[in-house]
Amino acid sequence: MEWWEVLVQQTINGLTRGAVFALIALGYTMVYGIVELINFAHGDVFMLGLFISLAWFTLLGVSSALGPWQLLTLLPLVFLLTMLSTALLNVSIDRVAYRPLRRSSRLAPLITAIGVSFMLENVALLWKGPAPIAYPDVFPSVDILREWFGVDSAIFITTKDILVVGATIPLMIGLHYFVTRTRWGKAMRATAQDRETAQAMGIDVERTILLTFFVGGALAGAAGLIQGLYYNIGMWWMGYQAGLRAFTAAVLGGIGNMPGAALGGLVIGFLSAWSDQYISARWTNAIVFSILILVLVFRPQGLLGDRTPEKV
Amino acid sequence: MEARRGLGVVLLAALLLGYPFLDRALGFQTVHAVSDGMIYVLLALGLNIVVGYAGLLDLGYAAFFAIGAYAMGLLNSPVLGSPLYGHAWSFWLCIWLAAAVSALLGTLIGAPTLRVRGDYLAIITLGFGEIIPVAIRNLGDITIEVGGWRPIERLNLTGGENGVNPVGRPYLPGVPFETDPMPWYYLILVIGALSLWAMSRLQDSRLGRAWMAIREDETAADCTGVNPITTKLLAFALGASFSGFAGSVYAAKLQAITPGAFEFQVSIMLLCMVVLGGAGTLRGAILGAMLITVFDRVILAETTFFVRWLGRSLGVPLLATADLTLWRWFFFGLGLVLVMLLRPQGLAGRRVRPPREAEAEDAAEPAPAAPPRTETIPPWLRESAARAAAVDGAAPILAVRGLAKRFGGVVALNEVDLVVPRGAIIGLIGPNGAGKTTFFNVVTGLVPPDGGAISFEGRSLVGLRPNAIVERGIARTFQSIRLFAYMTVLENVLVGEHCRLESSVPGAVLRPPAVRAEEARARERARSLLAFVGLGDKGNDLARNLPYGDQRRLEIARALATEPRLLLLDEPTAGMNPRETETLTALIGLVRRELALSVLLIEHDMQVVMTISDRITVLDYGTRIAEGTPGEIQRHPRVIEAYLGTGYQPEPATGGR
Repeated sequence: MEWWEVLVQQTINGLTRGAVFALIALGYTMVYGIVELINFAHGDVFMLGLFISLAWFTLLGVSSALGPWQLLTLLPLVFLLTMLSTALLNVSIDRVAYRPLRRSSRLAPLITAIGVSFMLENVALLWKGPAPIAYPDVFPSVDILREWFGVDSAIFITTKDILVVGATIPLMIGLHYFVTRTRWGKAMRATAQDRETAQAMGIDVERTILLTFFVGGALAGAAGLIQGLYYNIGMWWMGYQAGLRAFTAAVLGGIGNMPGAALGGLVIGFLSAWSDQYISARWTNAIVFSILILVLVFRPQGLLGDRTPEKV
Repeated sequence: MEARRGLGVVLLAALLLGYPFLDRALGFQTVHAVSDGMIYVLLALGLNIVVGYAGLLDLGYAAFFAIGAYAMGLLNSPVLGSPLYGHAWSFWLCIWLAAAVSALLGTLIGAPTLRVRGDYLAIITLGFGEIIPVAIRNLGDITIEVGGWRPIERLNLTGGENGVNPVGRPYLPGVPFETDPMPWYYLILVIGALSLWAMSRLQDSRLGRAWMAIREDETAADCTGVNPITTKLLAFALGASFSGFAGSVYAAKLQAITPGAFEFQVSIMLLCMVVLGGAGTLRGAILGAMLITVFDRVILAETTFFVRWLGRSLGVPLLATADLTLWRWFFFGLGLVLVMLLRPQGLAGRRVRPPREAEAEDAAEPAPAAPPRTETIPPWLRESAARAAAVDGAAPILAVRGLAKRFGGVVALNEVDLVVPRGAIIGLIGPNGAGKTTFFNVVTGLVPPDGGAISFEGRSLVGLRPNAIVERGIARTFQSIRLFAYMTVLENVLVGEHCRLESSVPGAVLRPPAVRAEEARARERARSLLAFVGLGDKGNDLARNLPYGDQRRLEIARALATEPRLLLLDEPTAGMNPRETETLTALIGLVRRELALSVLLIEHDMQVVMTISDRITVLDYGTRIAEGTPGEIQRHPRVIEAYLGTGYQPEPATGGR
C-alpha cells in the first residue's frame, strides 16, 4: 500500500468509528446539558444496545445475511426495537438512580452512575459469559470500489461503511430537527439553560429530563446496533472503553453542545484511527485520555461550547 | 460512655495484636489474607483524605498505588533494579522513596488540574488512572531509534505485561520475612496504627478544617482566607503518598506485581469502601474497608458454597452451579447506588439532624439575641484593630476608580468610583440587578474586573485571588448565607482564623508546643468571638442547624475571625425580623465605633442604611448615579426616581449611631 492509501483507509476507519462515538457522545452531552450529570452508565447502555439488538435479531430468526427486502423491513424494525429498549433502560436508570438525588451535590449522582455502570457490565457478563460474543454477519458486505466500480485499489470501502454513515446522518438530522424545531425540543433547551425559570414558565421539567434520557438512550442503542453490524463482535467490557472515548468526544466538542458532540466524535474517531496506525494501538488509549485531560484543564468549554461563568 | 469506649479500644488492640497467635492455634491460615486486608484499610484511609475530607472525587486512586508498587519494584527487584544500579536498594529506604515518588506525581498531576470543577476533576483522575496502567504495560520494552542511532534499546522499566517478579523483601536481623506471614502482619499493623494516629491529628487541625471547608463550599472557603488550590493539592499529594506507601509494601509482600492489579476496578472498590463506611470519618473508612474485604474474600465464596449446597439438596441445577463471585462487581455497583440513595453519609457517618427539625424548634422558642455589649468585644480583636489603626489614619482604606465589568453584552459595572475612608460605614444601595453584588465580587477577587483600579491601603488588589485579599484584610459575608454547613459553629469561626495561623503538616501531626499553643489560642479567640456575637453557647452545633438569624451572625463572626480592617456585608439583615435587624445594626455600629473597622454595606432596609451609613453610593444599571450623605441621598431626584420611589418619606435623622 502506498502511504496515501494507508492514510485514506485509516481516515475512512476513523469516520466509521467517529460516527459511533458521535452517537454515544450526543447522549452524554444532552444529559449533561440538562441535569449536569456525567452519566457514567451511558457507555454501558451502548454496550447493552449491541447485546439487545442481537437478541432482537435472534428473536426474529435472523442469523445470516439479510436479503434486499429484509434490509428494508427487518433492519429498520430492529433499529426501532433496539432504540426503544435502550431508551426505556436509560429512562429507568434515571428514575431509580439519579432522580432521587436531583437536589444533592453534583458528585452524588456521579457515584451512583458509576455503580449502575458496574451493575450493567456485570449483567452483560452473566448474560453472555466473559468471552467476546460473535455477532452474526447480517448486513451484506460488498467491496464497493472493486465490485461496483471495477477499480482495483488497495483502499477498501464496503457497504458497511455506507451503512454507518447512512444510519448516523439521518439520526443526527432528526435529532437536530427535534431539538430546534419542536415544542419538546424547545422545552429541553429551556430546561438546559435554566431549570427554575423553565419550571416557572410551565415546562414540566421532570418530563423533559425523562425525554432527554429517552432520546439519549435511543441513540446509544442505535450506536450499539451499528457497532454490532459493522464489527460482528461484542464484549461486556466495551461500554467502558467506548463510553470514555465518547465522553472525551463530548468534552472536546463542548459539553452540552450537540453539534460539538458530533464534531468531537469524528475528531476522536480520526485521532484514534491514526494513532493506531502511526503510533501504536497500545498507546491509543493513553493518547485519547491525555486529550481528555488537556481539554478539561485548558479549554473546559471545548471546541464549540460557550464559556459559562459559575454562579456566585 | 467514655470508659466503655476506652475498653473497646483496648479490646480491639488486644485482638489485633493477638490475632496471628489465635490464627495459628486454630489453624485458620488467614494471616496473609488479613494483612492484605489491612493494606486495603490503609488505602481507604488515604483515599478518605482526598474524597472524604477535601471532597475531591478521585476515580484513579489505584494509579498512585501502582506508582508506589512499581517504584518499589524498580528500585529493589533483582529483575529491574539491580541491572540498573548494580544492587537492590533496601526495602526500608524504598518504602519512603515510593511514597515520595507518588506524592510528587500527585502534585504534578494535581497542580494544573485541581482548579477545574469537581465532576471534571473526577474524570481527569479517571483518565490518569487509565493512562498509568497503559504506560506500565508499554514501558517494559522501550527502544528509541533516531535515524539508525539507538540511544535506548530494549530498556525494561516496568516488566510490561508480565509484571515484576520477584520484589526484594525487607531485611531485619532474625525476623523471617521470607517464610512467615507473621512479621508482615505486624509490620502492616504498625504502619496502619501510625497512619491512623497521624490522620486523626490532621483531621483535627488547621489543615483538616481547611479541607472540610473546601469540601463544604469552595467559594466561601476562598473568601474566608483558605487557598483552595494549595489546600486541595496538599490533600491530593498526601493521599497519593499514602497510596504509594501502601503500594510499595503490597509489592514487597506479594513478591509480584502485574499491571492488572491496578485497574479502574480497584479504584472503584476503594471508593466503595470509603463511601460505604462514610466519607470523611476515620471510623467509616476503616469499617468500609473491612466490610468490603470480608464481603469480597469470605462472604461471596462462602455464600456460593451454601447456595450450591442448597441447590444440590433441593435438586435445582441453576443453584447448584451458581457462582456468586461472578456477581462481585454487580454487588459493588449496587452497594454504591444503595448507599448514595439511602444513607449518603455512610454507615459510620455523622448522623445529621434534618434542617426541617431545626426550623421547627426555632419556631417553638425564638432565640432572644442579646444586644451586643462593648465589654464582650474580644480583647485580641481590639489589639489587632489598634495595630491596624496605627499604620496610617488619613488615607482612605479602599479606593476604587473606574471599575468596569461586563458579562457578555450586559454592563454590570460601568466606571464605578467608590472611596471608603478609614473607619467609615459606607452604604451601597440600588435596585436589584444594579451591580452591587458584582461590585463586591470584583473587590474580593471572585470576578476579575475588565477595567479600573482597586486600591486597598494604597496597594492594588487587581489580579489577587480571594484568599490573598482576605489575608490583606478584607472580609465579606454573602447575600445568600454561605456557611460550612456540616461543620460546627466553632469550626466555622476557626476556618476564619486559618490565614492567621501557621501550622503545617508535620506540625499538625507532631504537635510541638508552639502548635499546641497556637491551636489553644485560636480556639480561645473563636469562643470569645462567638460570645461577642451572641452564639457563645452554640459552638458545638452544626452550622446548618442554626436558626436563620444566628446563621447571619455566625457569618459575621467568621468574617471577623480573619482580623479584617474592611468588612463587606452583603444584605446582612435580609430576611431578619425587626428585632434581629436592630441587634445586628447595633453590632455593626459597635464594631465600627470600638474597633475602627471600616464597613461597606449593601442593604435594602432603608432604615438601617440611613441610620448607620456615613455616606451612601447609589448604583443603577451598573452606573453610579449618586453619592453623598444619607440626607443628600434621600433628596436626590435621580435616586428617588430610580430606587426610592416618589412615595418615599425621608425619615427624620434619628442620630442612631
